[in-house]
Order: sequence, then C-alpha cells, then structure tokens
Amino acid sequence: EDIAEESNVSAELIAHRKRLVDEWNAWRSRCKKEVADERRKRGKKANEPEPEAAKEEIAVWIDEVIEQIEEEIMD
Amino acid sequence: MRPILLQGHERSLTQIKFNAEGDLLFTCSKDHIINVWYSHNGERLGTYDGHNGTVWTVDVDSQSHFLISGSADNTLRLWAVATGKCLYTWELPTAVKRVAFSEDDDQVVCITEQRMGHQGAIRIFDINREGDGTDQSEEPSSMFNPVGSKPTVCTFAHTPGMILTGHESGKVALFDAKTGEEVNNNERAHMDVVTDLQLSPDRSYFITSSKDKTARIHDTRTLAVLKTLQTETPLNSAAIAPNRPYVLLGGGQEAMSVTTTSLRQGKFETRFWHKVFEEEVGRVKGHFGPINTIAVHPSGKTYASGGEDGFVRVHHFDESYFKAKPYGDIEPED
Repeated sequence: EDIAEESNVSAELIAHRKRLVDEWNAWRSRCKKEVADERRKRGKKANEPEPEAAKEEIAVWIDEVIEQIEEEIMD
Repeated sequence: MRPILLQGHERSLTQIKFNAEGDLLFTCSKDHIINVWYSHNGERLGTYDGHNGTVWTVDVDSQSHFLISGSADNTLRLWAVATGKCLYTWELPTAVKRVAFSEDDDQVVCITEQRMGHQGAIRIFDINREGDGTDQSEEPSSMFNPVGSKPTVCTFAHTPGMILTGHESGKVALFDAKTGEEVNNNERAHMDVVTDLQLSPDRSYFITSSKDKTARIHDTRTLAVLKTLQTETPLNSAAIAPNRPYVLLGGGQEAMSVTTTSLRQGKFETRFWHKVFEEEVGRVKGHFGPINTIAVHPSGKTYASGGEDGFVRVHHFDESYFKAKPYGDIEPED
C-alpha cells in the first residue's frame, strides 16, 4: 500500500489502465469464443487446458558460482 | 536464477525455438549448424549437421518428432528430432529464409528469397508422417509469388489453409494457401522491414517486430493493429510471454555499425513491455551484440535469446516475476 501511495499514480491513470484492461479482456473473450466455435466446426474438441497435476519435480538445482569474470569495456 | 549461457555456435544466431513441451531448445546459426539443448540446464543434446550455408530458420512439430530447417544453401531439410538424421532435402532455386509447421504438423510453409531472376516465393509442402519420414514428395502442394513487397516472415494463421506473412515494406498480409490469393492485408502495419512474427498460443493475435523500431500486436483475423510498442532501436525479434501480460523485444543496431557505437549505450538488452498498457517494464542485459531472436517457453517460465555475438542465453524467471504486480490488481487476461 505504501508503495502504491508512493508511486504517486493518479486516479486518472488508474482509470485509464482499468479501461485498457477491460477493453482487452472483452476482446479476448470474443476471440476465445471464436476460436472455440472454429474448432467445433472443424470437428475438433475445444482445446481444454490440461491439468498439470501429474508433474513431479525431483531435481534440486544447486546454483553455485565457481568463477565469475566481469569484462570491462574500455572506450 | 542466473542465466545459462549456451556456447556451441561459432557465428551469430538466426532463430531459436522451444518445442511444445518446452524441454528442448533448437538453435540455428550462420555457422551452418542446428543445435538442440535441454532448456532446464543448457546441456547440449545434439547437432543437426548437413547444411552448407547459413541456417536462417528452424521449426519443430508439436510432437517433437520432425524438425524443418531452411538455409542459404538453397535447401529445405526435414530432420528426425531424436536421431539427428536428415530425412529429406528439398532443393530450391534460392535461399530459404523462413519455415513453419502447420498446427496439425501435416504441412510446412517456407519463403524463398528473391534473387538472380527468381521471384520471392511462398511454398507449402505436405509432410508425409507415415513411416520413417524419408518418403516425401518433391513438389510443393502449392506455390505462389506475392506481388509487390517481398515476404520476410511467414506462418500458418488462425484457420487452416491461411498463411500469415510479414513483408519488407512493413506490410502484413493473409494469403489463401491453395490459390495464393491475398485475402487481407495491412499495408501500413510497419514503416520498415518486418523482422519477426510470433503467434499467441491460440493464434488469434500475433506480434511483429520491425526495423522501424516498433513492435506491434495485431488481430490475426482483421490484421488491425491493436497495440504499438515504440522503442529507440531497430528490432529483430518479438515474443509473447504466456501467463503474464508481457511481450519481449530484442534488437540493436545493424552488425556493421556496432563497432562505431559504444556498447555502453545498452542497446543489446531484452526489453519487457506490458502488452496492454504499451509501457516498458524492464530490461535484461547480457549480450555483446544485437539480439537476433527471442523465444519464450510455452509455459512462460523460461525465455531464451540468441545474439549476433554467437551466444544463446537461457533465463529461468524468478518467483518474483510471477508474483510481482507492478500495476496493482489490474491484470489482463492472457
């Protein structure tokens, strides 16, 4: 909240952004409907998002810096 | 997490592509070679060796079964992803500048360059997926020469049988794949060469980058420009980040003028832009030359950039990238 306060974003700008997002979302829902209709016409099942449940992550990545060379660019 | 540097190319990168699962990254280069890497750790899995010229372009099918590549040696080649074996070679009159698989993997589209009495052409080949993949027909299923400005980038559009193109003049267009008829166009999509074109996951919109220093988001059906991202450097590549409202842009000055300009100007950064608000939100540096090509993992958790410097950099996004809400709770749909 403090950051939001500090960023000093005017109510006007927030309203403007809200409008942009609303427009975008309205357009996206139209697109998604069209895509689904299109797929049905082609005799395909609508592309339902697949559940990502079956994934198992075992690997643990150890991120170790062995050597770091910083190249300085001389003019 | 620290970026992973992929060192395996001796010359500049031309195109990079993730497969559908995102576990593999394909990279092609002016050094005539195509490499494939594990995207999670940057280990090189293999090489597709056979082209005798710059490999301009590469694409992988949705099954990660076949790879298609186009080169300055005037050939289009089909490869087995798993074995690295070249399955079929199409000999064409000029260099192949861009290739793409269709959504169903049963066709590829390619652009051949305009040169020495040959017009720039778009060809569509049927891919026979039966057997081991070596039994392909030599002739394209269709071919046409777009009149006017020559095409630089292409892909299959939102509906089957429709080809989406970007042109040297800055035009974007839709062609009927069978008849070659220009179904729709937007002559003034860009003011200069269209350098890259990448579709959203459902193909309903796409992003283009251009030498005119802008990237633009277009509706695939109408070709109307929805968003314009104005930068201060010529752009070579633009990619859409799934699951976050961002697009990634890369570019830099022409390779020729690099030596005359200080690297300190920071022209070689991947820029993150908010695709709805048309505002820049961040930059990632690292390359020592212009960024030629950018690809985002299909899940949006990783991205990679290929540079004129011959390096590919793979970045796994931090947790904070997914949590951060720089614009508060206003979050657009994907």
